[in-house]
Amino acid sequence: MTSTRAITLNALSLYGLALLLTAAFAAQFALHELPCPLCLLQRILFATLAIGPILNIRFGPRPSHYAASLLAAVAGAVVSTRKVLLHIMPGDAGYGSALLGYHYYTWALLGFIAAIVLLAGLLLFDRQFEDDTTHPTAPSGFAQGAVWLVIGLTVLNVASTLLECGFAACADNPTVYELLKH
Amino acid sequence: MEFTALFLAVTIVMLVAWRGSRPLALMLYAAVLIACVATYLHHATDTLKLSF
Repeated sequence: MTSTRAITLNALSLYGLALLLTAAFAAQFALHELPCPLCLLQRILFATLAIGPILNIRFGPRPSHYAASLLAAVAGAVVSTRKVLLHIMPGDAGYGSALLGYHYYTWALLGFIAAIVLLAGLLLFDRQFEDDTTHPTAPSGFAQGAVWLVIGLTVLNVASTLLECGFAACADNPTVYELLKH
Repeated sequence: MEFTALFLAVTIVMLVAWRGSRPLALMLYAAVLIACVATYLHHATDTLKLSF
């Protein structure tokens, strides 16, 4: 796999992450389900996952960039597992509503595991690292769009989290936006 | 509040990765990841209701 193809795949992964962050927003606003602290941390780690692809697009593919994303994915999987275990006992209705039979934190765990597998798969292709990455070519519009989309969605998360938690610690089971309370 | 700060920090790291220097981006990334782990450990205090 050439460096150019790897960069395209990295841009595609950013669009995937953007889709995921948008779906989380859709659930939050359409179903009026506010994310819990661990749910917010999972979102943060999905956003952190995007830093590796951004570095790959800007500076060319390097193993250290993939390693950065791998560490974020492992941390995300740990947080998601913790959330799953909190609601694993029979009779526990779980937190929030389910999508296709699974709660969002279960989907998040599957997403982080998929990211680990995909990142390991991408690391198998050595040729992408052999190209000259000291003078990478300018990113395509496709890649630039992916980067700005993910950055924009992360900025929106800053705003929504500020509305939800206000300037204090976030509630364990939030039901209202703290800054919109009368 | 800490989650807002973390989202803001991730945004800054993304912008540095996209516009700034690579070493600075990697350093900030490491700081954010450590902050995430610390936040997780701070919140993961409830006893898991598991029985084995």
